[in-house]
Amino acid sequence: MSGLTFRLKAAPEERLDVSELTPRRLASLSQGEIERIVVGSTKRQARVGDVFTLGGRPGDSVRFENGSGHLDFVGSRLDEGTVFVDGDVGDYAGREMSGGRLDIRGDARAFLASGLRGGLVTVRGSAGSQVGAQRAGDKFGMAGGIVVIEGHAGDRIGDRMRRGTIIVRGRCGAIAGTRMLGGTIWTDQGFGPNPGLLMRRGTLIGPNVEKLLATFVDTGRHELVILRVLSRYLAATLGPLAPRPITGPVRKYAGDLATIGKGELLIPA
Amino acid sequence: MKVNGVTIDDTFAEAFGMSGTGVIITADSARWARQAAVTMSGFGTSVIGCGAEVGIDRELKPEETPDGRPGVRVLLFGFSPEALAPQLKNRVGQCVLTSPGSACYAGVDAKRRIGLGQGPRYFGDGFQTAKILGKNRYWRIPVMDGEFVVEETSGVVTDAVGGGNVLILGNDRAGLLASAEAAVAAIGEVPDVITPFPGGIVRSGSKVGSKYKGMVASTNDAFCPTLRGRVKSELGPDTVAVLEIVIDGLSSKAVADAMKAALRSLIEVGPSKGVTRISAGNYGGKLGRHHYHLRELLP
Repeated sequence: MSGLTFRLKAAPEERLDVSELTPRRLASLSQGEIERIVVGSTKRQARVGDVFTLGGRPGDSVRFENGSGHLDFVGSRLDEGTVFVDGDVGDYAGREMSGGRLDIRGDARAFLASGLRGGLVTVRGSAGSQVGAQRAGDKFGMAGGIVVIEGHAGDRIGDRMRRGTIIVRGRCGAIAGTRMLGGTIWTDQGFGPNPGLLMRRGTLIGPNVEKLLATFVDTGRHELVILRVLSRYLAATLGPLAPRPITGPVRKYAGDLATIGKGELLIPA
Repeated sequence: MKVNGVTIDDTFAEAFGMSGTGVIITADSARWARQAAVTMSGFGTSVIGCGAEVGIDRELKPEETPDGRPGVRVLLFGFSPEALAPQLKNRVGQCVLTSPGSACYAGVDAKRRIGLGQGPRYFGDGFQTAKILGKNRYWRIPVMDGEFVVEETSGVVTDAVGGGNVLILGNDRAGLLASAEAAVAAIGEVPDVITPFPGGIVRSGSKVGSKYKGMVASTNDAFCPTLRGRVKSELGPDTVAVLEIVIDGLSSKAVADAMKAALRSLIEVGPSKGVTRISAGNYGGKLGRHHYHLRELLP
């Protein structure tokens, strides 16, 4: 796999917008042109060459050899190829991605995979608030693709999420799946308080809930075929990254009955 | 030409271009998946009278199905995708949705799609929900034993073939039926084909047209043993019965492979059971664009 590498010369002193640094957008640029891309967010107008040491040659991947919580919009609008980050990323990583893969080997800050439409986002560490969520001005949150977070996720994960799947190996924060319109959030360790607040449709799966909303109703214990389909789909798509399949019964809570109540919270029974 | 004592006519089966689609039906057990598949395949022998030709392609192991349960693949053939669509909707809605524990998925992977769960989903009366996984949308319809999961669409191919056939002639009616059964079982090993008639076997081969107005097909008198002497018969003096196996396939190669399997079985099993001759049905080569010459398909 060939591609360009970017190494931070020093810890950034300002937030950097690296949304232009994806394989497709760099494919036709010379090294000089790449180094002149503005990534700074202050009036200093820092350029790639000011903050990164550039290596490799354009190809189907881009690698950030060291990360920082100041790197915003990593892999934004990625549609093919792979972006690797050997460290942390800032806000809006994978924003409006439609294909390809974003592989973050550290933590991600807020709004990871906001507006995601396709592709795969993996985070070895934890993610901040509003994973896959709607950004102000957006009509919806995440609308497709898959996110796998090996650590924990913050509050409001999946806010106004419409489609796609988010898998969290750790625990989700408060009001996961709030205002959700579709898609699936699956946590291995459980949900914080009040998941599904004002959720219309969609599926929340986890072993426990810190506090259940009064507007979710217990529909009983069920064996759901769709969970078998989902488990097999994720196993085929993600391989070892897939969650452990659910083949037995789950307790299903339907909600949020403060809206149309077609969402569900499933807890393996 | 004689092979293992069986006369092979120098003729060909004439088959037609059709559209084909398919579904995978799963259930809690192989028995109930098959039950739904058999019910869905009912009244699906001839496209002329039934609207579609429907049959079981094969049983699927749990690891081969989208939900990891035992399954059965059913294929449907019709004149066009538009003609197949209502057949698929009605058969899934009446025969699969109603079957305990069932789920139904696309059984043909093709770019062109026709509705599978698009109609039956309305049975959910507003309580149905959808789940999109990758490129596929699955409907979840609440029913009295849980949920009926059905994929939104299935693929449809327009280069399918209907009407591949083998005629089996012999001097022992019971032996002839046993030989035909063995041939149908051999065809069952070939993927992407069905034998849509009862048990895969037809005893009422037809010719085009009739003396009666409005009848598009009528009995193939030339192959009816009780009419020998009255009509221009195709049958020798020792032939007491003729059975036909009709084959539909998603591709011409699949139909040819199925006919090969049938011929191999008939030549091996048939002589000891009274099979004396193998022939094939055609219309002089003028109606169907697929011609399967028996002698080219011999083992």
